[in-house]
Amino acid sequence: MQDRPTAAELLDSVAEYLFAELRPEVPREQRFKVLVAANVCAVVAREIRAGDEPDREDLALFRELLGREVEDPRAAAAELSERIRSGELDDRIDELAPRLEEHVRRKLEIARPGYSEGGD
Amino acid sequence: MEELAAGVREVLAELGTDLAEVRLTSIPGGASRETWLIEGDAGRWVLRRDPKGSVSLVPMADEYALISRAAEVGTPVPQPLAFEPDGGRFGSPGLLMAHVDGTSVAPRILRKQEYEAARAGLTEQLGEALASIHSIDLGTLNGVLPEAGTDPALDQIAEWERQLDEIGEPLPAVELGLRWLRANAPDPAEPRLVHGDFRLGNFIVDERGLAAVIDWELAHLGDPAEDIGWLCIRSWRFGNDDQPVAGVGRLDEFASAYEAAGGAAVDRERVRYWEAFGNLKWAVICARQANDHLTGVRRSHELASLGRRVCEPEWDLLELMR
Repeated sequence: MQDRPTAAELLDSVAEYLFAELRPEVPREQRFKVLVAANVCAVVAREIRAGDEPDREDLALFRELLGREVEDPRAAAAELSERIRSGELDDRIDELAPRLEEHVRRKLEIARPGYSEGGD
Repeated sequence: MEELAAGVREVLAELGTDLAEVRLTSIPGGASRETWLIEGDAGRWVLRRDPKGSVSLVPMADEYALISRAAEVGTPVPQPLAFEPDGGRFGSPGLLMAHVDGTSVAPRILRKQEYEAARAGLTEQLGEALASIHSIDLGTLNGVLPEAGTDPALDQIAEWERQLDEIGEPLPAVELGLRWLRANAPDPAEPRLVHGDFRLGNFIVDERGLAAVIDWELAHLGDPAEDIGWLCIRSWRFGNDDQPVAGVGRLDEFASAYEAAGGAAVDRERVRYWEAFGNLKWAVICARQANDHLTGVRRSHELASLGRRVCEPEWDLLELMR
């Protein structure tokens, strides 16, 4: 067991420093890079807090879509990708699109919360 | 860099400008090109060149030819001044251009008070500029770009599928998008010159509005509606989600200006298709840029962070497929 702050709390502190303290101090052309760095810390902090739940949900989804047991979400995504590419699932595109939105929403919840509610 | 500075001074001297000294500053811009700001006592210029040993989609010499043609038909572009081939005075193939005052930084254009008047006229100016690019007689390009295939949509799908395969990242939503785009491709359009990256971020804007269209490295022959769809994808609205055209305007307004300036009637369904395609292309570009970081082509936290932005265009792509 490590002492507090937790990994996510440490990243929060770095993100706060980069965003609130460092960003206004650097030359204008560097500010975007600092903003990106702060955002990366925030993304990783959210990923740590989410734990393995998103991966387990993705694995369950990919198992269902593949119709067989798979152990690793990345390998499952690769297999699903291949099967889609081969054209064998072409008659199920309308059915698969909202299911893959579930997977993409789980990525957005870590990388860009709120994105799936906006747009037109 | 001293060698490059000497080369630039020599070329500028030939153009009639003798500089005691020049200052070169690398500026970010373009995915695969180097861009240098050149400052001397008598003015400012911009040099775009290929990084040494790199392979780009549109060779620098072709970009020079395209910008020159665009300047002739009245597209606002930086005035091209001199081109040097590989091993020439710019080292790698490079194009020296006039400097254009203004900014290409999207958040500044969209939010700063000083660009308020510019924003009001930008949608119309973009319509006119794109119509001028699409008006270029392909016969005058003298074979600069590879000839269009029989189906511009299927060609583009194949191109970006190929780029995706070079990365090897498993992206099932992108794969489904590729199949949907194949199944729903519109009737083949009469090929025109497509800029390929016509979007906020590649427009230099000053207080009066559009000053120049830059970054021609994704240009190709294809369906002109491709440029309109790409212009409208959500990523290039930079947060102004309800303004599809570059975050400042409506498609109707853009289409009126485009058509009045000689562009073909804007087919909304076709634009929507190309907007879906644009999201696919942006998803692949994000994954590619992250891969460039991971493989050490160019180590950068900015590129790395794009890997986690793939899901944004993936989402918009799936929504547009409904």
